[in-house]
Order: sequence, then structure tokens, then C-alpha cells
Amino acid sequence: MSYSSLPEDVLEHVFSFVQSDKDRNVISLVCKSWYEIERWCRRRIFVGNCYAVSPRMAIRRFPEVRSVELKGKPHFADFNLVPEGWGGYVYPWIRAMAGGYPWLEELKLKRMVVTDESLELIAKSLKNFKVLVLSSCEGFSTHGLAAIAADCKNLKELDLWESDVEDPSGNWLSKFPDTCTSLVSLNIACLGSEVSFSALERLVVRCPNLRTLRLNRAVPLEKLAHLLRQAPQLVELGTGTYSADLRPDIFSNLAGAFSGCKELKSLSGFWDVVPAYLPAVYSVCSGLTTLNLSYATIQSPDLIKLVSQCPKLQCLWVLDYIEDSGLEALAATCKDLRELRVFPSEPFGDEPNVSLTEQGLVLVSEGCPKLESVLYFCRRMSNDALVTIAKNRPSMIRFRLCIIDPQTPDYLTLEPLDVGFGAIVQHCKDLRRLSLSGLLTDRVFEYIGTYAKKLEMLSVAFAGESDLGLHHVLSGCDSLRKLEIMDCPFGDKALLANAAKLETMRSLWMSSCSVSFEACKLLGQKMPRLNVEVIDESGPPDSRPELPVKKLYIYRTVTGRRIDMPGFVWNVGEDSALRLS
Amino acid sequence: MGKARAASCSSSSTESSTQIRRNLSTDLRLGLSISASQQDDPFSLPSYLCIFNVSVGDDDQASDWPPTKPLIMRRALEEEENEGSSATFFVKVYMEGIPIGRKLDLLAHDGYHDLIRTLDYMFSTNIIWSEMDGSVSAYSETCHVLTYEDKEGDWMMVGDVPWEMFLSTVRRLKITRAM
Repeated sequence: MSYSSLPEDVLEHVFSFVQSDKDRNVISLVCKSWYEIERWCRRRIFVGNCYAVSPRMAIRRFPEVRSVELKGKPHFADFNLVPEGWGGYVYPWIRAMAGGYPWLEELKLKRMVVTDESLELIAKSLKNFKVLVLSSCEGFSTHGLAAIAADCKNLKELDLWESDVEDPSGNWLSKFPDTCTSLVSLNIACLGSEVSFSALERLVVRCPNLRTLRLNRAVPLEKLAHLLRQAPQLVELGTGTYSADLRPDIFSNLAGAFSGCKELKSLSGFWDVVPAYLPAVYSVCSGLTTLNLSYATIQSPDLIKLVSQCPKLQCLWVLDYIEDSGLEALAATCKDLRELRVFPSEPFGDEPNVSLTEQGLVLVSEGCPKLESVLYFCRRMSNDALVTIAKNRPSMIRFRLCIIDPQTPDYLTLEPLDVGFGAIVQHCKDLRRLSLSGLLTDRVFEYIGTYAKKLEMLSVAFAGESDLGLHHVLSGCDSLRKLEIMDCPFGDKALLANAAKLETMRSLWMSSCSVSFEACKLLGQKMPRLNVEVIDESGPPDSRPELPVKKLYIYRTVTGRRIDMPGFVWNVGEDSALRLS
Repeated sequence: MGKARAASCSSSSTESSTQIRRNLSTDLRLGLSISASQQDDPFSLPSYLCIFNVSVGDDDQASDWPPTKPLIMRRALEEEENEGSSATFFVKVYMEGIPIGRKLDLLAHDGYHDLIRTLDYMFSTNIIWSEMDGSVSAYSETCHVLTYEDKEGDWMMVGDVPWEMFLSTVRRLKITRAM
């Protein structure tokens, strides 16, 4: 009996239990008929780099997709390293999908340029459209959102996570027709200006399945209680501004409304916090699993009071106002904590403004046995602390440390932090993501290349001494997919010696390093399946070949050079001459 | 506000960038470095510091370190800016046909769009000003034109000059029926 003699629909049924992309890809390689069956029943595709494949090719191979996820700009675009106009336009994909995927239900975009035109096309062409997630996107306004609201009759989710939305005055929320009752999730936290509160309220009232509501800053605190009473079934809430005149009636109204929300598990928002109003949320703290206080300027004592009431907390995002004392309280109370992010309240200050040190992180690593994901901004670190953290939490999966001053050494010994980070990669065998900072030599990269076998993403800045550092990473990290480097003395040798490795990765970003234009050209010519793009806003890079290339973005692709490059991006592959400037 | 102390390698002087100069056939050896003046011990601190402490101010480096997202950076900057903004500038606003006027704090608004939004709400109407697009014509029954009296006593349509210039010259506002 051969497996290929099983009827197609049986195989299709079996394949439907396999959701992961990796496994699906493996299935498609077994034989031609499995490839065919699999491609017709794949319902979801994830394209980590929108330029790696063309929309036409994606649609041709997978004709029955219902959910598409796309990512555009490189991660360092979040920190202003990618100039305006670089690319990441979603319109060509939407145009292709309007024809190729008329039954598309979900679209999730990250770091892409979305225009009102794109949104209008979605609204017009995709009749069963349900989920739109625009994460860190830009280029659109509330006009486009109005089109989505008005025409997507089955809309379940609209999430504008941290997008940059232009807000001409316009009442887009009221464009949701009275017949729209399907909303499950609405996140408008990033919108700068007011939305019509009455339209918002009417929408909330008529959507009984609404589980997630993230308001924007413009929604006043006095109105929050009112909304909560209309939607006591909410599981995730983002408040608007959390400040009002101190009045007992406002407080008791708010506290009463919160106590009615028995399902609340996640809280965010808290702009402009007036600490006296914090106790209004105490009644829901015992059930909270996620708390995002990234915008909340609450001092440590109030934070301690809050956090001490959240024993089920799994994810905390907070400003460094929490200080070591607050993290100590967190470690004592929140034994279920999986993820901690501590952001800097004064990233540009020269002196520390809060008492947050490496001790806080060490305490959390000791007290929270499930801790696996860390993003920590601080001003000092020691090898000892890192070694302790590594030994405490070998199950760490994501470890991102940002010591605010570049090249800060171990504050106790003044040595580089190689040994500390070395311990992290040695003990945390499942580490998938790592961001380095502080004073680091080539040795840390030797550790990383030797031990970080599951590492998928590495971020490096102001580190290393020579090409050997980069060579260790490229030759040793078997699972590496994304590498982003700024301000490191890495040059041509390591890059050219590991050219083949680059085809196994999604992308490589290098800015302010020591890569020559000649090496870029060589790489581009040698590797036809890589796009080697040089970004230089001051003019053609070959006009000053003695200077290192300013910004370099290399990614694998099956579609060749992209056709939407702006004037300051050069694709330095192929024998054809560079575009004339 | 501080700025990133260590400048990028590419902003250092051209001497060290010629040191970077490729010899593509050289094999990799421990101790390879970009500065010829490096000591034998590659870990000696002074060597790093002299490579990296070239303090050429590279303006485009200013906003990419530390790696915090713009929203958080903006919030951090706002905190510093908002310390002293308690100034107000109230002007009278009259609507044609209504004897009792209102007062409005112009400094509480970011610009024209913000101001129009407030006036639309305050007077329950649609305001026409110099930047209107054609889409308002459908509501022509309930439209009003926004004008202001300037320092010279002339009545002008709102929106033609930059916001800051407007603030320096406006004395009061009037909302008249559209012609």
C-alpha cells in the first residue's frame, strides 16, 4: 500500500491538522501530489519580508488562502534608521489579492506603508473581510478607516497597534453601520485626536462579543466608567487618559464600573496617571495576566501597591520608575511572570533619574521561575549579575538588554561584558532572540557562535573589534534568521566568507559599520538570490568608494531587485551598471 | 538631553577608514583590528576607547540610540516640554445672529484643524475656512464661514497664514453664515 494512493480528500483532511508553516512546507516536499494537495488547502501564509516573494507568485502557489501576514521594513526602522520613502508598500499586494483572494478574511501587516487607497480597495473588494491588524504601519488616515468601517460587513477585529495615523477631523467611527454587531476587538490607542464618544458608545453597546477595547488618550476618564458598564464582558481594556479632577463621585463611579468587569485579564493605557485613581482598578487585579504601563508615569510606591495585588500576572510592561524595589515586590508576588519589559523614562538623560539597576533584574530572575522573555533598559550591569541571571533562568527564550550608554563596561570590574553574555547563551539553550549592549569584544561573538544554536534573531550595537566577531556569528549560529548590526567594526572579510549563509537567513542589516562598496558589489554579483541594497541619502555610493557604506540591507528573495526603490537606495547586484542618479 | 557618546565608525576620520581597507584574500586571524596602532593584547581597554571615542557629532545618529520606539521617546520629550506650558490666550468668538458670544483659548489648540474641530463642536455646525475641500458642499445648509479680526481691524478668512502668525495677529473670531 502506498500513501499516495490515499484519496486526495483524506490527505487534505489529515493536512488540515497541521497548522505550522514549517511542517506544511515539509509536507509539500514529500512528493508532487502532496505538494499539489497541500498548496490547495493552505489557508494561511506568513511572508516575513514582503520583498522576498511577489504577490503574484504567492497567490499562484496558494490559491485558497484566507489569512495573510506581511512584514515590510527592517526592525531598525523603529529607531529611525530607515529613511522615509524606503519602501514596504502594501498596495501591490492588496491589488493582487483583490483579484486573487476575494474571500480573504484576515490581513496582518507590520511596518508597512498602507494608504487610504489600499484600505478603500480592501473594503470594496474583499466581501468576507474580518480581521485587520496594522502594527507599526503608516501612510493612512481616518478616511481609510472610515471605508473599512462602512463596507466590511463582517468586521471582527480592527487593531492599529502603534501605527502612525493621520487624523483629519472626521467621524469615522460613526461610519460603522447600525447593523454592525460583529466586532470582537478594537484597538485605536494610537489615534491622536478625539473620536466621537457617542459613536463609540453606540458601537460598544451593539457588539455583545466585544472582548478587546483599547481606547486612545483623548477619551476622558470620566467617560470610562460609562463605557465599562456597557461592556462588562471585556477581557482586554486600554484606558484613555487616566487623569481627572479629584472627586469622590468620579472615583466611586469608576471603581464600581471596574468591579463589574469580571472577565478583565489585560489592562493598558494609563496616560497622564493621577495616582489617586489607581485603586479604582484594584478589584480586577486578582485576575490580571497582562499589565502594560509603558505610558504610565507612576512612581515606585504606587507601582508596588498595584503589582502586589496581581498574583496571576504573566506579562508586565513598565517604565523604570518601578525601580529595584518595585521589581523586588514583583518577584515576590508574581510567580507566574513570563515576560518583563522595563522601558527608560529618561532615555536621553546623562545621569540616572531612578534607582533601577541590574539588581532588579537579578531579583526577578530569582523569584519568577517561568520568566522567559526580558527587555530591560538600565544604566549599569555586571558579568556576575548576567551569570546569575543565566543560571537562574536557563529556560530564557528572549533576552534583550539595553545599557543606555554605549560600551559601558562591567561596573564592578571595568571589564567587557563578554563573560556575562557568554553565560546567557551557554545556559539558555533555547534562546531565540538576543540583544547585546555594553562593552563587548570579539570574545562574546565567539561564545554566541559556539553556544547559541537556536538563536534566530541577534541585535548588536557598538560591539566587537574585528571581522572575527561577525564571522563567529555567521558561521556558528545555525538557526540565525535575522541579524541587525549598528556601529560595529565589521567589514568585508566576514561578510564575503559567509556569503552562502546569507541565503539561509531572512535578512541582514548593517549600518555605520566598515563594509566597503566594492564588497557589496561583489556580494551582489556572487549571490543572485540576494538583494544587496545600499542606503545612502547623500549620493551614489560608488562616487566615494573609499568610504564604508553607510547602511546596508541584504535579504534573500526569489523575485530579484525590487522596482519601488527610492532614489537613495541602490541595488548593487548584477553586472548591469548602477542606476544613474 | 544627552546624546550618544560614542560616534559611529563611519563618522570617524578617513584615516581609520583606510585602515579598514579590504584585502580580500587575507585570512581571518585573532587580533585583527581596524587600527594599526592596536597593542598585542586586543582586550586592552585604551585601544577600544581610542577607536570608538572619536566624538564627531554625526547628526543622524542622534535619534537612533538608545533603541526606544518613537512613541516612548516622544512621551519622554513631552514630559520635559510640558513643564512650563500654562500660558493661555483667550479670544472672543461670536456667531452671526447670536448676541451672546463664547471665549476660546487658542493656545490650547495645536493648529487650525484642532481649532475648527472645537468650533464645530461648540457651535454645532460645519465651519468653512480656507483649507476646506469640496466634500462639505453637501452640507451647505448648515455651513458657516470662520473669519477673524486682525491687528489692523480687518476681517480675514481663517487659515491663510501659518498658525503661529495667526496667533500673533488675531484679536477675535466671528462665524458668519455662508454666502
